[in-house]
Amino acid sequence: MVKRVFERPLSWIERIFFLDFIRGLSVTIRHAFRKTITTHYPYEKLTPPKRFRGFFGHKVVDGKEPQPAFDEWVERFKIQVEPGKSRCVVCMLCKRACPVPQLFEIEGEKLPDGKRRVSVFNMNLMLCTFCGFCVDACPVDCLFQSDIHETASYTRRDSVLDLQTLERIGRDWQRRREEEPDRIWIDDYQRQRLWHENDLKLPEVER
Amino acid sequence: MEGVVAWLIITLIKIVVILAIVLGVGAYLTLVERKVAAHIQRRPGPMVVGWHGLLQPLADGLKLLTKEDLFPRYGNQFLYNLALVMALVPATLVFAVVPFGPEFEVFGIKVKPILTDVNIGLLLVFALGSMAVFAIALAGWASNSKYALIGSMRKAGIVVSYEVVITFAVMGPIILAGTLSTYDIVQKQIEQNLWYVWLQPLAFVVYMFAMLAETGRVPFDVQEAEAELVTGFTVEYGGMKFGLFPLVEWYIEVLSLSAIAVVLFLGGWSPINIPFLGFIDPLFFLGPLSPFVWFILKVSLLFLFVLWLHWTLPRYRIDQITETAWKVMLPITFVNLVLTAVIAPLVWR
Repeated sequence: MVKRVFERPLSWIERIFFLDFIRGLSVTIRHAFRKTITTHYPYEKLTPPKRFRGFFGHKVVDGKEPQPAFDEWVERFKIQVEPGKSRCVVCMLCKRACPVPQLFEIEGEKLPDGKRRVSVFNMNLMLCTFCGFCVDACPVDCLFQSDIHETASYTRRDSVLDLQTLERIGRDWQRRREEEPDRIWIDDYQRQRLWHENDLKLPEVER
Repeated sequence: MEGVVAWLIITLIKIVVILAIVLGVGAYLTLVERKVAAHIQRRPGPMVVGWHGLLQPLADGLKLLTKEDLFPRYGNQFLYNLALVMALVPATLVFAVVPFGPEFEVFGIKVKPILTDVNIGLLLVFALGSMAVFAIALAGWASNSKYALIGSMRKAGIVVSYEVVITFAVMGPIILAGTLSTYDIVQKQIEQNLWYVWLQPLAFVVYMFAMLAETGRVPFDVQEAEAELVTGFTVEYGGMKFGLFPLVEWYIEVLSLSAIAVVLFLGGWSPINIPFLGFIDPLFFLGPLSPFVWFILKVSLLFLFVLWLHWTLPRYRIDQITETAWKVMLPITFVNLVLTAVIAPLVWR
């Protein structure tokens, strides 16, 4: 059913005394004396919700890997598991899932004892659309997207995340927000304080 | 001879003081406008430069002065620069006939705080107001740009319509006061113990609308129309030349027309007036300064009201604006004029 809505013509009283003007003016004056809702950006920062799609990171091995998937992948590829290092098992599923696969440069290396580990993991974020397909594809919950969103940099080199940077972002994330339950933005009463706990010293993140 | 020298010196001092006040206040009104607009939209406005952005106008001025001075190809350089002068000079000249307060005495010399108390002051105001249309038409024409031309044509249409309306609207107070001199009109209101807004509410409302239209304020800002026309006739201007047009149009003209409105309808420097009771002055403790404070207070309140309207109302279409001018406001002012002219000699005086 189509609901027909017509504009109600102004009555003569409204025309003569500008009642509609006065109604509008009262709205604006009420807003003018309320508290402002601005975040003073470079001085105050809001923490994005946990599911924010910001910079990428590698979660490190800390005993909380998704099981049994992690053990299965480690066994299949004979990955050397080292606490405090990336969980990456070099399965290349992230590169597979990516709409711009050339932004990933992933290489593994073979250690003298026959085990393997990831040696190169570069992500060129100049090409990235931050779609998050690679995060969904990761079978061991290694690659993830953090809440770091100040991604401007002075050189193109700085926009390539290498393995060390990814691990640092991951360690920082696991320290700050891993335990936090998922919240939607308006319920996130912690968002005011969380950002300043970030102690990353990335060239991109540093102010 | 000595009298002439004293008169010259006093006039020069007046000119410098008025120019400094008008241009300085005009610059700072940009900050006021930004703050008011921001708070109406629940933003804090400029906060970084100085305490609550108090130095923002200086920073803006510095930025505008150091910008490149561009000139559109195939434009007319002479008219392009002439438009600036034509915009700035008449707008500031209006302050020559604005009375800021009553006559006072310094070192035995009687000083009227008005630059020239000519007996055709109001005529001068509206003649100078009509000059604004030249500036805008020239700016649009000399820029050699479609946007600028459309904007200036719209503005010219509005100014031509509302110049008629505003002139007829001020007829009422002129008939009541029986003089065209701005200083005497205020004196008459004080003598008659009545602000003319109580007798001429229609004329006051029409005057306010015409003032909004002449200064290109919302709801009559079709000549700017950020959405469709970028900024109308100022598109091709750059740097301080660009800064001057809004300064003149939005601040100096609004200020001068508010001052004229205060003089005509709100009793100039007189304190609050209640009909049949006379004047009540809550600021009596300021002594001889109180009239000046009242004048400034009234003008700034009127200016803030204009800002408030600006950031509340949407924009009318050009045809609606001219239609309102010719079909609604002009008849209303005619009715007002006839009633005033018939009744005033019978009842008044």
